[in-house]
Amino acid sequence: MSTGTAKALELRGLRKAYRLPGGRSVPAVRDFSLRVEPGEFVTLLGPSGSGKTTVLRTLAGLEEPDAGEILLDGVPLTPLPPHQRHIGLVFQNYALFPHLTVFENVAYSLRIRRTPDVRIRDEVEAALKTLGLEELASRLPGQLSGGQQQRVALARALVMHPDLLLFDEPLSNLDAKLRFQVRSELRRLQKRLGITALYVTHDQAEAMSLSDRIAVMRDGRVEQVGTPEAIYARPATLFVADFIGRVNILPGRVVDRGGSGVTVEALDRRWNVAADRCPGAAGEVLVLLRPEAVGLTEAGQGDLAGTVEELEYRGDQTEYRIQIGGVHVVVVESSPRRTRRIVEGDRVGLRVFEDTLHILPAQREG
Amino acid sequence: MVQATGILIARPRPGLRRGRALFSLYPLLVLGLALFVVYPLGMLLAQAVQADGRLSAGTVLGLLRESYYRAVLLNTLLLGVSVAGLGTVLATGYAYAMTRVAMPGKKFFHFVALLPTISPPILMALSLILLYGRRGLITNGLLGLQSTLLYGFWGLTAAQVLAYFPFAYLLLLNLFRGLDASLEEAAWTMGAHPGKILTTVTLPLLIPGLASAVLLLFSYSFADLGNPLLLGGDYPVLAAQIYLTIIGLYDMPRGAALALILLFPVTLVFFAHKRLAERAAFASIGGRASSMRHPQFRHPAVRIGGLLFCGGVCLLILLQYATVLGGAVTRLFGINHTLTLKHFASALTASRDALVDTIGLAAAASAVSGVAGLLIAYFVARSRVPGRGALDFVASLPLAIPGTVVGLGFAIAFNRPPFLLTGTALIIVAAFVVRSIPYSIRSGVAALRQVDVSLDEASTSMGATSFQTLWRVILPLLRPAVLAGMIFTFTRSVTTLSAVIFVVSPHWALVTPTILSQMDRGDVGEAAALSVVLIVLVLLVIHGVPRLLGRDWREGTAA
Repeated sequence: MSTGTAKALELRGLRKAYRLPGGRSVPAVRDFSLRVEPGEFVTLLGPSGSGKTTVLRTLAGLEEPDAGEILLDGVPLTPLPPHQRHIGLVFQNYALFPHLTVFENVAYSLRIRRTPDVRIRDEVEAALKTLGLEELASRLPGQLSGGQQQRVALARALVMHPDLLLFDEPLSNLDAKLRFQVRSELRRLQKRLGITALYVTHDQAEAMSLSDRIAVMRDGRVEQVGTPEAIYARPATLFVADFIGRVNILPGRVVDRGGSGVTVEALDRRWNVAADRCPGAAGEVLVLLRPEAVGLTEAGQGDLAGTVEELEYRGDQTEYRIQIGGVHVVVVESSPRRTRRIVEGDRVGLRVFEDTLHILPAQREG
Repeated sequence: MVQATGILIARPRPGLRRGRALFSLYPLLVLGLALFVVYPLGMLLAQAVQADGRLSAGTVLGLLRESYYRAVLLNTLLLGVSVAGLGTVLATGYAYAMTRVAMPGKKFFHFVALLPTISPPILMALSLILLYGRRGLITNGLLGLQSTLLYGFWGLTAAQVLAYFPFAYLLLLNLFRGLDASLEEAAWTMGAHPGKILTTVTLPLLIPGLASAVLLLFSYSFADLGNPLLLGGDYPVLAAQIYLTIIGLYDMPRGAALALILLFPVTLVFFAHKRLAERAAFASIGGRASSMRHPQFRHPAVRIGGLLFCGGVCLLILLQYATVLGGAVTRLFGINHTLTLKHFASALTASRDALVDTIGLAAAASAVSGVAGLLIAYFVARSRVPGRGALDFVASLPLAIPGTVVGLGFAIAFNRPPFLLTGTALIIVAAFVVRSIPYSIRSGVAALRQVDVSLDEASTSMGATSFQTLWRVILPLLRPAVLAGMIFTFTRSVTTLSAVIFVVSPHWALVTPTILSQMDRGDVGEAAALSVVLIVLVLLVIHGVPRLLGRDWREGTAA
């Protein structure tokens, strides 16, 4: 099964506030703009309350925006009620109809559109086959496992050949192992079918592994849009840096500007940072150092020297909290291939992968 | 290992030892229920199935062989089915509009729909007579008709649908609200318009709830006494026949046998309703509900339809209340519309005793029902005392029993030694309590289930007795539920007619039987005025008492 030509989605200046019983109104989405290219998989990533689900529900038509435009291949969607939008939505709790079989759940949108029975059978069977559900066609949702329910929900959304596919944290009710498996299947399927997709999650690993691009949201706005690599390696704000992965935030000062970048002083040492990693930096700055961008060496070697204050062994990884001249730095290493175990109180040397350093202006977060 | 077990066994079990003070009340509750639920029903049964001092089904079977009584039974069934069908349709539409349509005035619509649930059911008969009776404002005054369809099937159907559909509405309102919102949203995004969503998703999921509403209305219609007495005309139904057999013919065995015939189908229907209601509540739990904010349909046609429907139903209900008010403030409604306060004056003087007695006895019943209901709820939900299941069943039994049957049972059981209570206040209070305690227990159990057992355990582990735990930990958390139960008891007690009509006496007059006899005498003005006073009183209690008691009594689990 495949869809027609994929469509481009454009959101312009979307705003939505919820009115509370007391008459107060709480903004959920403020001035949200985003463009999703045909066939692209974009994830809205953000903490709970950042407005990502509201954006999704507004797209589906389940919420009315207070302002802004939603265009699908240039056609405005806002005037249309949900049943005329042709947008597939996979719910967090799957929302399978408990009184209908798997077959009838998947056939629902076709029956609503009065599709001939023969075509319904073909289409539903194809959708079930795509997701490996042929055997379960006559079951009721209550008789399925969480992972199976999830697939039915996806089949049900795909069978309507939607112009746009929306996912509202569809993996959050699955256990960790299954989530991992479904994640990669989902990505393969979307690529194969070439449907434009918008995915909502608060799980950064999910966002990283699924998306062509990620839009990090905060307080109803887009904080940064970019490929997973760009978001991780070159966060635009402290919020993004902190929300995606872990990061050491070190105070620093720009001491020299050259054509290829800047020289910054931090941890009593000078570092060279490439131009694309220090947008507009001058004077007091924050130097971002990822915990995995540091390697431990014997004391006396490397770029820095410090003392191990605490360590946490996690099997595949070990996390160290190291004091370097009054500043604490967290270092995460793949569990050591070295022979001598490092213990708390040890003096160690640190080798910093200078290329990964990233610099942000030192202003306070508003 | 053996030693360890020995130590475990030797350890005192605090839950059992500390609970004595509270558990000493248990036998008291058992005795109370035995005396006021089991004994009267037993006596009624005994009266019905004995002839010439011997056990015999003769009276019951004899009645069923008479074609007149077979017709009565058929009438009752037909009326019940009509009221149940029509009432459920009304209630479904109303609950749907209130929960799924974006329209203004919902608070008002809800308030109006609840009015009949706090009024005496005979109020509908009263207003319908004033509007459509032989001298009715509409039939005679406007249309100049001499005859009317009111007295009989049509009038009864109208009165009972108006009086009872709000109960089904309340039931369905909760079920419509409880459905997982994402199911309807899913259907919507898959291309179903609001009407299709209703027929393909919402209603199919609510089938057990709809069936439960049908059964509820059926049993209410079956048990109604007031409306058939006033509107029955040449359409006799069972409850009214029981009353006429006892009061008119003074034939106790025959009355008791008729009560048994009434009791059987009602009890059957009630237990079917209960099972379905449980399933309906169950159906709404579909995984983790994503959001409880249901789609609010904004399509102009849907909104206008919803407004017209709810507005129309409200208008119909308000017309009845306006008519009663009109009847109360005019000399003779339909004939002489000169404004007067004499009916109110008479209601507050001639019927003063009835009002004072009703309020006093209902208040007493509220206190008893509140305390006993809470205790039983505690024993049922929190203790492991033997027989608590049976206790719950017996205490809840009156839910399934028509008021007429309860009242008749009381009249038979307490009209002779060893428990000669006829003419006392106790018998009336007991009738009130028996009729309402199931609700106190249910609301208490529901509220207790919201309170985590670990609170009890924490209190006990710190050395509190079960009485102290109940008093200091549970009661403060349950105050809203207890208050709601007590207000419900009060409302139900002052508006019931069927349960008390056989036990009122010259010493203790009550409002609803007084209204009935005023109607009988043709004093519609006085009956209307007294009804208005009663409704105002109930509204004052419902809205005033929680406000007087303050925040602690209003928040939380109160429904």
